[in-house]
Amino acid sequence: MKRPLKVLIAKAGLDGHERGALVVAMGLRDAGMEVVYTGIRNTPEQIIAAAIQEDVDVIGLSSLSGGHMAQFRRVMELLKKERVKGVLVFAGGIIPDDDVKKLKKLGIKEVFGPGSTIAAIAEFITKSQR
Amino acid sequence: MKMRDNELTKLVTRLESGGPLPTELYRRTGNARILGITGPPGVGKSSLIDRLIDNLRRQDKTVGVIAIDPTSPISGGALLGDRLRMQRHSEDEGVFIRSLATRHHHGGVTDSTSQIVHALDAAGFDIVIVETVGTGQDEVEVAEVADTVVVVLMPELGDEIQRAKSGLMEIADVLVINKADLFNAHAPATGPHYSALKWERPTIHTSAKSGEGITTLCGAMDVHHAYLVHSGKLAERRARAVRAEVTRLLQSRMAASILCALEGPQAQTILTDVAKRKLDPYDAVEKLTKEILGSQKRSSKHAATSTRRQTKKRRKTRR
Ligand SMILES: Nc1nc2c(ncn2[C@@H]2O[C@H](COP(=O)(O)OP(=O)(O)O)[C@@H](O)[C@H]2O)c(=O)[nH]1
Ligand SMILES: [Mg+2]
Repeated sequence: MKRPLKVLIAKAGLDGHERGALVVAMGLRDAGMEVVYTGIRNTPEQIIAAAIQEDVDVIGLSSLSGGHMAQFRRVMELLKKERVKGVLVFAGGIIPDDDVKKLKKLGIKEVFGPGSTIAAIAEFITKSQR
Repeated sequence: MKMRDNELTKLVTRLESGGPLPTELYRRTGNARILGITGPPGVGKSSLIDRLIDNLRRQDKTVGVIAIDPTSPISGGALLGDRLRMQRHSEDEGVFIRSLATRHHHGGVTDSTSQIVHALDAAGFDIVIVETVGTGQDEVEVAEVADTVVVVLMPELGDEIQRAKSGLMEIADVLVINKADLFNAHAPATGPHYSALKWERPTIHTSAKSGEGITTLCGAMDVHHAYLVHSGKLAERRARAVRAEVTRLLQSRMAASILCALEGPQAQTILTDVAKRKLDPYDAVEKLTKEILGSQKRSSKHAATSTRRQTKKRRKTRR
């Protein structure tokens, strides 16, 4: 039996808004994925440790606070350092266009803004990982 | 010695998908203490485990955690929310946490729980904790895996949970009433009283929020372990666990052979004969049993050689 896609949804940084991330986590569960939700205020180190121990296929990072550049960059650095391979990383939240370009250069495959639907996110994941 | 997380995590994934545990790893198991934490959803199992990890790490013990949440029967997906409560331990080298979805297995754990417990045991963790789904009365399989079963409840549970409780109580070695902070339930903890021969189940009031009662709980689990060792019950329990595990594996192997045999041409003929009333269902079962046992012999030989080949290959790639 092929296992369902396993996704880590985490919020980096210090902001405490978790509504959006939780909605995505529940939406992806309803799309048939196994979603590990680690809540708010994760350090990049915790996110990577969780991604390794959970052996996820996908990491979804959320940020609404504006602290995303430094945090997400660190996540991508650690992924390389820890030799985690084949993991798709996407981001969501309120992120200015300029930063979206920079994030994609870092290896973040897609950035979903506030109006994005769960269906679009689920489809993106399924297409990229299968 | 601790296996690198990267290596261990891939092994766990293979086991989760029904892959076999390499023989050389199984030989290294039997050293970890295995704790089962069960009880209805929302009572604070994950939060308590977070506190237990604190306590155990202060004693310099390494901890592996398997945390199980239910697979949705509708979507086949799952929201694995246990890790959220323990996430602050993620970076600790001495802690490994893995969340698992039940994937429709009933019984409170997953198909692969025993194998994954072995993997963490072989990887050298001193303590392996299994958190069950804990939704119903018949979810008592954790008792076939754990040395010590802790049942967690909280005051003022509804009727439904009262019923679930009765099944759980039978497997409880230690009873915990959590959320003492909310309900003013600061009743003194009872026990644990034990002699080498008799264990009296203690009831311990805790608050995962304030940390109250956690030291008492850890003490009770230690005393239970000592009781198991001195009374000879540990060996007894583990023998039972082995029997249960082999039984489960055997059943799933047999179930697979049955499904396989039913697809074959011989079975089709037999089924057609039953439909035409030339054979009755009991004769059909008689015939099919012979057929299945015959193919079992052939396929098990084949399976044994191919597993050995895989193990060899893995050894090579690891070097
Ligand atoms: N007030 C209080 N809340 C608690 C306590 N333990 C857990 N909780 C809360 O109860 C909810 C469920 O806890 P969780 O550990 O996920 O329960 P589980 O489903 O049994 O694993 C969470 O909101 C916790 O913060 C406690 O001792 N006191
Ligand atoms: Mg839990």
